[in-house]
Amino acid sequence: MSTLPVGLSRDLSAKRVMRATVGGQDLVVWRATNGEISAWDNRCPHRGMALSHGFVRGNTLACLYHGWHYNGAGTCTYIPAHPDLDPPATIRTNRFSVVEQDGVIWVRTDGEAQAPDLPGGLEPLRVFIVAASADQVQCGAAQVPYEGQMADAGAVLHFGAVSVMLLLSPLGDGRTQVTTLASAGLTVAQRSALSRWCEATRRHVEAQQEEAA
Amino acid sequence: MSSFTLYNYVLSGNCYKVRLMAALLGVEYDTVAVDFYPGFEHRSEPMLALNPSGTLPILTADDMVLTETQAMLGWLAAKFDPTGRWYPADDPVVSGEVLQWLGVASRLTGSVGAARLHAMLDWPVDGEAVRKDALKELQGFELLLTDRVFAGQTWLVGDHPTIADIACFPYVALSPDAGLEHDGFPAIRNWLYAVRSLPGFVTMPGIHQLHELREGAHG
Repeated sequence: MSTLPVGLSRDLSAKRVMRATVGGQDLVVWRATNGEISAWDNRCPHRGMALSHGFVRGNTLACLYHGWHYNGAGTCTYIPAHPDLDPPATIRTNRFSVVEQDGVIWVRTDGEAQAPDLPGGLEPLRVFIVAASADQVQCGAAQVPYEGQMADAGAVLHFGAVSVMLLLSPLGDGRTQVTTLASAGLTVAQRSALSRWCEATRRHVEAQQEEAA
Repeated sequence: MSSFTLYNYVLSGNCYKVRLMAALLGVEYDTVAVDFYPGFEHRSEPMLALNPSGTLPILTADDMVLTETQAMLGWLAAKFDPTGRWYPADDPVVSGEVLQWLGVASRLTGSVGAARLHAMLDWPVDGEAVRKDALKELQGFELLLTDRVFAGQTWLVGDHPTIADIACFPYVALSPDAGLEHDGFPAIRNWLYAVRSLPGFVTMPGIHQLHELREGAHG
C-alpha cells in the first residue's frame, strides 16, 4: 500500500474524531486540542471497541466504552476504573504514519507516509465515495463534461480555465474514496457547480458498472 | 404546567424530533408511551380514532391534534420561541428554504427511516430498494450541505439553527442503524456534530451525547 488520502484537513478540526478506511484497513483519525493528528487501527486495545466512537480530552483520545485515554504516541495514559494506576507502557494502540499536505490528510499503513508532490494551483474541493474501482473512476471521470466542456484526459482534468484532480483511495470493498482538488480561488458558484460534476461522475461511473454487471 | 402531550415511541426518529425540539426550547410536556413494536399499538382502534393514519408521533394540545412531525416542529417554534429564530417566517425566501428542508426531512423518513425499520425490526419492505433510496437521499443531502460549507455556513438555512436542522437531524444521524455509515460524508459529520453541540441537546438510543462537551473529572 502506498500513501493514500483519507480526508481533508478542513473537515477534521481540533478535538474531532473520524472513521476512515484505506485498502480495507479500518482507521480512527483524530486531531488533538493542540492540532496534532493521529491515524490508528480503529480498535481499542482494551476491548476492541471502535475508537472512532471515542472523544478527545485535551491531547488524548478517550474510548467511549470504558474511557481509557491514549495520547498521540498511542500510549494509554489513564484508566478511569483505576484512577491511581499508572498504566503499563505496553498498552498502546496500533499507529500508522500520517501527514498533512496541500490540505489533504495522507496515511500509509505499511511504512512512513510521504505525500506526493501535486501540481501547483490546486486546493481541496470535496471528498466522496464511488461504488467502483479506482481505475473505473479515473476512466469514467474523463467522460463527464463540465459546463458542456469535455476535459483533456490526464492526471489533471482541464475544463478550460478550471482544473480538477481526483486522488483515488481504494477502500478495499470495491468502492473508492475520491478526494477532489480544484483550481484555487474559484467562486462559491463554481465550486458548487464542480461539486455537482463530482455527483455526475459518480452516477456515470456507477451506471457503467451496472451495465457491465 | 405541561403544555402538550406527545404519544411517543422511544426508538422512533420522528418522535425523537419532537422531544429534541421541545428540549431545545425548554418546553415541559407529558408523554404517553405507545407500544409501536412488537405491540403495533399505534394501529389499535383507540389510536386510530385519534390518528386515522396510524402513525406516530401524535401531539395533542387543548383541542388540537397534530399527526405530522414537521408540523409539530413548526407549531412548537411558533408557540414557544418568541425570538422567531427557530422558525423564521418573515422573509419569504428564508421561509421557503425552511419549508423546502421540511420536505427533505419527510423524504429522509421515507427512505432512511424505512431502511432502518427493515434493518432493525425486519419491516416488510424491499430492504435493498429502500437502502438504495436512502443512500441516494444521503448523497443528495451531503451535496447540499457541501454547498453550505462553500458558503462558510454551518446550518441548513441562514446563520443559526432552525426547525429545518431539527427536522433533518434524526434520520441522517441514525442512518448507521441501516448500515449506511457517515464515512464518505464529511459535511454531514460536521453538521451532525454542530446539532449535537446545541445547548439543551437530548439523546436517543443510537445518538449519544458529546462527552467532550461535558466538564470532565480528568483530562
